[in-house]
Amino acid sequence: MDQLLPPEIVEASQTFPAALAACGDLDALLRLKGAFVGREASHATRLMELLKTAPKEQKRELGAAVNGLKQQWEEGLKARQAELEAAKRKLGALAAAWDPALPPPQPPRGALHPLNRLMDRLVDVFRPMGFHVEEGPEVETEAHNFDGLNIPEDHPAKASSDTFYLAAHPELLLRTHTSPVQVRTLLRVAPDLAARGGIRFLAPGRVYRKDEIDPTHSPMFHQVEGMLVGHGIGMQHLKGTLEYALRALFGPDTEIRLRPSYFPFVEPGCEVDVSCPLCGAKGCRVCKGSGWVEILGAGLIHPNVLAYAGIDPGEWSGWAFGMGVERMAMMLSQTPDLRLFFENDQRFLKAMGGLD
Amino acid sequence: MWIERKVLAQEILAAAALDTRQLCEVLAALGFPVDGVATLEGTEALDVDITANRGDAMSHRGIARELAAKLKQPLAPIPTGTVSEGEALLPVRLEAEACPIYATAVLELGEGVTPEATQSFLRALEASPKRLPAVDASNELLLRYGHPTHAFDADAIRGAVTVRWAKAGETLVTLDGVIRNLTKLDLVIADEAGPIALAGVMGGDSTKVTEATRRVLLESAWFEPKVVRATARRHGLHTDASHRFGRGADPAMARVARDLLVARLQAWCQAKLIGAWTAGAVPAPAAPVNLDLPLLARVAGEAVPLEAAREALVRLGCAVSAAGDRLCIAPPTWRHDLAIAEDLAEEVLRLRGYEHIPSVLPPMEGPPEHLAPAYLLRQRVARRLAQLGFHQTVTYGFISPEADALFAAPDNPAAGRTLANPLGYEYSVLRASLLPSLKATAEQNLRQGSRQVQLFELAPTYRSTPAGPREHLTLAAVWGGVLGGEDYLSPARAVLEADLAGLARDLDIPGLPVIHRLADGLFGFEVELDALPRPQDRIIPVFRPFSRFPSVERDLSLLVDLSQSYAALHQAMTAALPAESLLELRCVDVFRHKSLPEGQQAWLLRMRFQAERTLVGDEVDGWVSAALAAAESLGAKLRA
Repeated sequence: MDQLLPPEIVEASQTFPAALAACGDLDALLRLKGAFVGREASHATRLMELLKTAPKEQKRELGAAVNGLKQQWEEGLKARQAELEAAKRKLGALAAAWDPALPPPQPPRGALHPLNRLMDRLVDVFRPMGFHVEEGPEVETEAHNFDGLNIPEDHPAKASSDTFYLAAHPELLLRTHTSPVQVRTLLRVAPDLAARGGIRFLAPGRVYRKDEIDPTHSPMFHQVEGMLVGHGIGMQHLKGTLEYALRALFGPDTEIRLRPSYFPFVEPGCEVDVSCPLCGAKGCRVCKGSGWVEILGAGLIHPNVLAYAGIDPGEWSGWAFGMGVERMAMMLSQTPDLRLFFENDQRFLKAMGGLD
Repeated sequence: MWIERKVLAQEILAAAALDTRQLCEVLAALGFPVDGVATLEGTEALDVDITANRGDAMSHRGIARELAAKLKQPLAPIPTGTVSEGEALLPVRLEAEACPIYATAVLELGEGVTPEATQSFLRALEASPKRLPAVDASNELLLRYGHPTHAFDADAIRGAVTVRWAKAGETLVTLDGVIRNLTKLDLVIADEAGPIALAGVMGGDSTKVTEATRRVLLESAWFEPKVVRATARRHGLHTDASHRFGRGADPAMARVARDLLVARLQAWCQAKLIGAWTAGAVPAPAAPVNLDLPLLARVAGEAVPLEAAREALVRLGCAVSAAGDRLCIAPPTWRHDLAIAEDLAEEVLRLRGYEHIPSVLPPMEGPPEHLAPAYLLRQRVARRLAQLGFHQTVTYGFISPEADALFAAPDNPAAGRTLANPLGYEYSVLRASLLPSLKATAEQNLRQGSRQVQLFELAPTYRSTPAGPREHLTLAAVWGGVLGGEDYLSPARAVLEADLAGLARDLDIPGLPVIHRLADGLFGFEVELDALPRPQDRIIPVFRPFSRFPSVERDLSLLVDLSQSYAALHQAMTAALPAESLLELRCVDVFRHKSLPEGQQAWLLRMRFQAERTLVGDEVDGWVSAALAAAESLGAKLRA
């Protein structure tokens, strides 16, 4: 039978399966298809010409052989095409696939300064109790910073070793606490205090004292002042407010403790401790084993402070507190060095600040 | 102040029964927190924190008095000897009201030194013993009873002793060997030759007690606190004596301390009392203070029975009488801090314990106030910047004059913003701009290896005015380094001025602030917060209708000179387009490449049109042609 076919076609037919397997892509397969079953100058067209010219008695046998070969080639090509197409689809799918483990583009993420975050949080905590924010200048007069706060004229804090003064304006200084905001606010609201129904506010801000820069001191730091004036205000209201606020800050199980202390602008005065928020009052390095951490100073507003602002201390009374923001931030974060808060290393800010 | 437990227990026996922790807790509850506990000279001592108003507590006796009142336990009696006063051996004249009483004595010293127990006590309290009985006894009395005394070498005193104001030009060499130039505001002890001691502060060198001293003149007086404070401050001379007189000593202790001093010298060195006498008298006590029960109840948060309040005040040494619901209180001679009703209410609370104060939320008496728009604006700006990747910094408000000069306006001289007593030259000027601080911080971050630095600060800057520095709340932002390049989708590129301009626009800063090039690849701007639009009162803005017809977008690629002003081109093209249909005209690409004609660049301008109808192509084509013609009139060419 093979003797009826040209030897090169017989040979090609024998190498066809290997050639088919060698086609790595659809282009190569198309070329192979052209060579075997193409409409022009292919093995198949040659066979058809051969069949046309074959003697009549061979036609039947030759026809069967030719059809057999053509069918074999076409089926082979079709199967290989399907194989190659499937492989291509698979690659396409892989190329389009997303590996969720690859680091994605990161939307920008900055940070509020941790000290500002803490002050903002305090404002948030006091807002529901009707406190708003009052602010005042950092360059202050002696009257607002000292005199209006019942601080005696010869108080050591007034010395130039403790307080920064302006060279060209000896009567001006950098406020040493946020308490002058008390004086300014009371002076402003005194005329219509009754119509307002008293006043309650927070005064967060920057303050200055002449301290050398070291791990626990800074010539500039932050305080949050709180003040409330109303009728019949006593220590119980100070305790109630601080208990609410400090529980909101440190957790519902927080306990607070008032200890007698002295500040010229309050009477009675007290220091306020909270049960150590880091160890749950079990005793740790931060609370020095005592279970308590000192958090702020407070007291009932001294009658002289109210009177200075033109408010009758016989009718009105109130409380005030002052809190060191850095101290609280260091305690909560266990940051070992105060200077980190003013170095502004982005790594520190990112880690400590966040967005809120 | 260090309080030695053994000596404390001699003043109040009950203290011996408390362990250290209990003792510390009682003291803290009384307002005297213990900062530390140490073993000194083989005995335990507590470092007790005593507030400035409690000069009376600055001694073992003072602390014992507080414990006795709190624990309802008796104090040990003060072992005064039996010194009987007689005629003055030399005149002692009190010429200033600031010294109402001056108890004194003259003794002839014998052989003997300070007992070891007393030396050890002094060492434990960091007061080095001198082994001279007159000096050591005075120091011991001060630490134990809180009353400063002084011993003069009686043979060095010339003539009468006077307590008077110094005369201008007088000098005194104090015990520390320093020559003090005195003023008319200094109270001195003087003999007929001149001052021999700064009253209540320090003795003089010429009359000091030495090994050679045979006769001593003792001083146990009381000086006005204000006067002693002023002298101590004026001469920078803060001594144990000035601390106690300055905070108010007990005038009734003047004679007692003199007697105790005499008794010690008699016991320690067989001193012979030649004579003792007192000039002046204990000053009249301050007027009694009334405490009304309603005020006490208001402060305490609950009604306090009259009897309980009276009893507490009596325990503190007050003389108390009651009438109706009012207590009339004469404070003891050692308490100078009890001047108003609130002071006494505090004393009642303190003895009851602050732990008994109830916890009550204060009732609202009026509507709460809103947060100020300026405060809200600042919060909004800070949050927006943080969302955009910026880190908020907090830097010092004072900087060096050189740093300040970099960005200070010419009409803002540093002289008006300079501190009289700065921490150092580099912290001496209240800054006119936040940029010097942010520049330094940004450069520090870049040096530390940050690829990108994004910082902002919200803080006041200062402007010199005749009335002093005026504060302006200011926002500054700096941005530098490399953007992107940290993931497979974001190509890396340097931060550019344009990024800062985009940031300023995002923050609604009106106009374009000056973008400063602070260093290579580091830019910043600064704007006063007042310049920013205030947050709108409306929760959401008024509705403005918008077209629901499709918008049409057309791009024009133009070749323009490198010197072409975008604003001019934008304006010319906008003018050529129908305002009612033009939504937007913006440059969406700038292409600069050597393949373009030299001196030229390509701008891709995108126009978006929309109207209250469907726009047809011909109409839009006409507009685009008009815009192109306008651009061409400025020299632009359509890029092929």
